[in-house]
Amino acid sequence: MKHRLGRLMAGFILFMLILAIQGQCAGEVSGTVLKIGSPSVVKSASLLGDSSLGVFSHLSNPTLMKMAENGSIVGLTADRAEVSKDGMIWKFFIRDNFYWSDGEKLTPDDVMFTFNYLADKSPSAGWIKKTVENISVDGNAVVFKLNKPYSRLNLEFATYTILPRHIWEKIDKPLEYVNNGEVVGFGPYYISKIDTDAGVIYFKKNPYWKGSSPYFDSIEIHTFSNMDVLSMALEKGEVDAFYKYAGSYPYTSIQKLKDTGNFDFIEKDNIGLTFLAMNLKKEPMSDLEFRKALSYALNYSEILNLDALGYGQVPNAGFVPPSMMDFKETRKLQYNLSKARELLSEAGYKDSNGDGILDGKDGKAIKLTFLTRTDYQRPTELVIGYLKDLGINAEIKSVDSSTWIKQKDAYEYDMTITRSTPWGMLMHANWGTGYFDSTRTGEGVLHNVDDPAFLKLCDGILAATSQSELKEYAYQVQDYYAANLPGIALYWSRIVTPYNKVFTGWYSDPLYGIYNVDSFLEVRKA
Amino acid sequence: MSPAKKRLLRCILALFLIVSLNFIIPRSMPGDPLTNLLGEDAYLTEGSASELRSLMGLDLPLHEQYLAYWRSILSFDLGYSYHLHSSVSSLILSRMKWTLLLAVPSLSAGAIFGTILGGLAGWKRGCGMERVNTAFFLMIYCTPPYFLSLLALYLFSFRLGLFPLKGLYSTGSFLDIAHHLMLPILVMSLFSVSRNFMIMRGSVLVERRSLYAAYARAKGLYGNEILFRHCFKNALLPIITIIALDFGFIFSGALFIEIVFSMNGMGNLIYDSLLSRDYPVLQGSFLIVTIMVILANLLADLQYSRIDPRVRWQ
Repeated sequence: MKHRLGRLMAGFILFMLILAIQGQCAGEVSGTVLKIGSPSVVKSASLLGDSSLGVFSHLSNPTLMKMAENGSIVGLTADRAEVSKDGMIWKFFIRDNFYWSDGEKLTPDDVMFTFNYLADKSPSAGWIKKTVENISVDGNAVVFKLNKPYSRLNLEFATYTILPRHIWEKIDKPLEYVNNGEVVGFGPYYISKIDTDAGVIYFKKNPYWKGSSPYFDSIEIHTFSNMDVLSMALEKGEVDAFYKYAGSYPYTSIQKLKDTGNFDFIEKDNIGLTFLAMNLKKEPMSDLEFRKALSYALNYSEILNLDALGYGQVPNAGFVPPSMMDFKETRKLQYNLSKARELLSEAGYKDSNGDGILDGKDGKAIKLTFLTRTDYQRPTELVIGYLKDLGINAEIKSVDSSTWIKQKDAYEYDMTITRSTPWGMLMHANWGTGYFDSTRTGEGVLHNVDDPAFLKLCDGILAATSQSELKEYAYQVQDYYAANLPGIALYWSRIVTPYNKVFTGWYSDPLYGIYNVDSFLEVRKA
Repeated sequence: MSPAKKRLLRCILALFLIVSLNFIIPRSMPGDPLTNLLGEDAYLTEGSASELRSLMGLDLPLHEQYLAYWRSILSFDLGYSYHLHSSVSSLILSRMKWTLLLAVPSLSAGAIFGTILGGLAGWKRGCGMERVNTAFFLMIYCTPPYFLSLLALYLFSFRLGLFPLKGLYSTGSFLDIAHHLMLPILVMSLFSVSRNFMIMRGSVLVERRSLYAAYARAKGLYGNEILFRHCFKNALLPIITIIALDFGFIFSGALFIEIVFSMNGMGNLIYDSLLSRDYPVLQGSFLIVTIMVILANLLADLQYSRIDPRVRWQ
């Protein structure tokens, strides 16, 4: 028996060695390849249904507009955009030199088709049907006639990929359409294969691309279910750069990469942020004085250092980070426990029985429910500690994402910590309004502000017809946040994107980070 | 009614109850498939939301949903996943093949090596090799699977470069797939071997003190002969149930291993659908797991009676 086992083991080890050698040979590929590692796993090859693939497809099917480094919206597929004085008609002038990867020319008709098609068939683009009365083609321009002014239309169009009419008009149910093979695109690269089992999206050079030629023959996006393994792949050189939409490389792993000496980092202020949200329908959160006191009770530097390892800055009461357009300097949030206590005392929150716990205005001891998810466990524990210092008891209710959404929508919480994504900050009336406006719904949306003054501000922004008007509204929104504190920013973070030093030319935009057409046209081997 | 018929009836009743529970449990959790469908910063108008709700059948009263659920099961239709944009049956089939490739060799290796090594360790208790083996397998048995998988990946893939860091394949050839699966299989086998080793060792320790073992020794049989001819069969009884359950749960996948090695298996599928409240996928996966567990238990019962005459006589 022992001999048999020994022989079996020897055979097994030999087989492993053969496999290892074979595997190393199989890994060698021809041509120049740029490999991006990402934790955003593509779960199905559905271009319009899978949110990760939706972002990755921006390289093959660019958007109509794009966000420039300073946050302004400029043309991409469109050369430029014009809006009528009353804000009711938008014209997007389509560039003449784009060709689909199957040789067909991209026309304004494709653009018109895309938005009609999405309005009709994509649930997340349902707003188009409600806002756009008619889409037509006028020469090389696509004209959107609106039923009410909508100042953010060009911004919205920085997120939707353009689809080829000759392919997609045959697809009746886009959400059920899955294609693992070639995706006809007009960007510098097109998707040649989506292999969810291998965890790779393959891009090839678009043979009909007329712009400046990209430096790599192909691009591969390698997705990893586990961040630790992705870090190993980066360190080992199996992927050349990291990308995550709305997210940074883990702050805790940065030093390890730095120590190798092989990596450089792009550091950008994040448009999105981590914030404390409150249920304004319930006491004492509905009391402005309570919220003000709370804003002094949080140790922002400590949260920043412990939760983001100092990659960021202490925020302002105006919520909106300086990386957003039309940022206004408002009161810097500061930790001042005695001031917080003083404010609470003045507002009538007293500890009547001397047990160290403050009583609410109803005379009962305050006990709050702090709804949280595992991703926010650390800042939650810190905030609970600060509340305790203030004399407020809070109980943590840790739930999964779906339960959080359900309970948040049903207002079954007192406080919660959540984050905003770059697009989240820009959606609706911009400057984070989409998270607070009570008329909105959505997975991350808190819809906790029904103050008519705030809603009027949102309507004003949406109907604004000039940049100066928008700027004025932006300032008013930030003043509103600073005065009313519907949410308290815990820190303004930075997005850190590591890449192998061998590659240079990366460009990062505020909305999609390094994942943009310009970046992939410029990146090359040093 | 014969015992076999009784057993079959019990299985059918269990199947009915569990399949009903498969319908109830996902719906008892907060949220529904629409809750997590579009991403955290997507906006859904009321019209689009109700349209999707009706498309998913979520607007129907619960009893109608339950009847529709049974109707689709009886017509072998497991439904459609709006999260993964595919019919549940094709999703499960595509994931099942990878899970089988991972789990069958691991559990088989675990069953064979675990029982043999565990049996030898129990029989030769106190010798140097036995002590080393027991300490090693006890250590593996106590290590969290996630940690061990990560450690194995760090050593063999990252440091030594013997295996790939992730995925099921690169080129898709047989050797390439085997190369990708080898390390996860090794890790999963280690767990299976260590668990079976500990149980089998304990079981043989009891058997070796039995009178029949002493009698065999008195007859002049050698140590290993007594173990493999007499004690092994009796010591095997507790492990049969465990191995049967292993194979019963084979389609539930190995979540931690799948996450660490970025593999598209059943474990990941069930976990993701649980988080996104993807009812059709949850129901379909649980149905398969249920049928497998019931079948495996049935087989274990039959196997028991084949091995142990006492059970047969009862």
